[in-house]
Amino acid sequence: MRPDMGEQMEGTCRILEQVVAPCVNDPFARTILDNLVANLRMLAGAMPGVAAFLRDDNQASAALLATLQATLSPELAQRVADTLAKPAPDAADSKALDVRNTALRTLLSEAICSPGLTPAHHQAIRSHLSERAARVPMRYVPTVAAKPAGNAPNVTSPHNAHAT
Amino acid sequence: MNAPTDRAVTLDQTGADQLSDAVISGLTALIRAQTPRARDIRLERLVRSAGGLSRENWRLDASWTDARGTHSHELMLMRDASGTLLETERDREFAVLSALAHSDVPTPRAHWADPDGRYLGAPSIVMDRMPGQCDYLVLNGSAPIEARLALAQRFLDVLARIHAFDWRAAGLGASLGEPQGKPSSVELAHWTRVYQRVRLEPHPELDYIHAWLSAREPEAEAVVLVHGDFKPGNALVENGRITAKLDWETAHLGDPLEDLGWITNPVRRREHQIADHWEREQIVAGYRTLTGRMVNEHHLTWWNVFSNWKLAVIQLTAIAEFVAGRYDRVFQTPSWLYRPMFQMMERAS
Repeated sequence: MRPDMGEQMEGTCRILEQVVAPCVNDPFARTILDNLVANLRMLAGAMPGVAAFLRDDNQASAALLATLQATLSPELAQRVADTLAKPAPDAADSKALDVRNTALRTLLSEAICSPGLTPAHHQAIRSHLSERAARVPMRYVPTVAAKPAGNAPNVTSPHNAHAT
Repeated sequence: MNAPTDRAVTLDQTGADQLSDAVISGLTALIRAQTPRARDIRLERLVRSAGGLSRENWRLDASWTDARGTHSHELMLMRDASGTLLETERDREFAVLSALAHSDVPTPRAHWADPDGRYLGAPSIVMDRMPGQCDYLVLNGSAPIEARLALAQRFLDVLARIHAFDWRAAGLGASLGEPQGKPSSVELAHWTRVYQRVRLEPHPELDYIHAWLSAREPEAEAVVLVHGDFKPGNALVENGRITAKLDWETAHLGDPLEDLGWITNPVRRREHQIADHWEREQIVAGYRTLTGRMVNEHHLTWWNVFSNWKLAVIQLTAIAEFVAGRYDRVFQTPSWLYRPMFQMMERAS
């Protein structure tokens, strides 16, 4: 299907930047536009990898839950068992993968805060969560506004995300 | 008493005219209500700045006449954005700025506040527009290292002055509320409520870190006025001098290590630190010298982790507001904050 999704998103960014942005004189609106374009460009690069990310994360989350299962309360352990017993969704069904991911991560939120976890469990938990954080496909893209004079805070300053 | 005779409201038409007109009429009504003797109110050259994430910023020039004569001020109006990211109270900010007006902390003079948005449609505060430039990376800019180090020391001096401010004598206890219990517990409880309200999906990472924080809430060495978002990006600098510390909407009474934890946070080192010259060790040593406080390293690490956890919650707030159609910038889950927090937790264990 041409133009494919990536081509359409990239083309939209180009038009917004080259045709629309030069006509936007209001600095606030321009900052918003720049942020939107940057995010759209990030999405164009990230979207093809979302389904694979969810599939891999579901597998890793399920494996971690299985590792923790013996230390959990009987009630939580049963919910974990019920969820793990369900078949994995179709690898191409992003929506189903996302639903499964939410279910697994809901259980993880409870399980990893349970009492009785060993140092080895904590190591496995931090390792899983850190590796997931490193592979998340969609990331905030900071955009920098012109530096204002006077006490108008820089748009990138208050509580913003400056990945280092 | 003379009736107000407001007139001659002029405005540079730069687009968004209806919004600008609403600001002008709202501000005029606010001035009338809070400065009843004001007349001949003129509000000119209103321009919306590319402002912060939590509120709109409007620049304008104002003049009015009252019993003391004619006044002319360059002003900034800060109004909560429709989808604001922070639970703030303008009357609290107004109280802090009014109290600090008589201190050695450089702050703009606050003129009026509209804490419930009765006049301006959203909670707002109006203050003097101060000279200087706002550059959140000023400590790592192109100036010589000696100048940047001197500026870093001045920032720390300002922080020490804020923490030395006699908030009891200024009556801020009633305005801000004294923490009941450990300030760390109070702050964590506050941001936990925000987290529970704004999260749209499970975040095991933040729950795990929250459990770690909950199990280790430190005692405070003192209860001081905390800025709550102390950074170069919230300050104005002119010729190497700090002309104003801004953005007091999150100021509260709490643990001094909360601010110190914010500026020694490794995730934000590009803003607060100068590699090999002004890092955690030098900042803490300088703070100890200025304040005479001990600064427990473990407690400081707790506040480092907390500052990132809080930052993550603020970003989740942005996501929730964006999804609800009330906020016009797109944020993502703050996954980039997780690994630094885990690393700090491991080092502290």
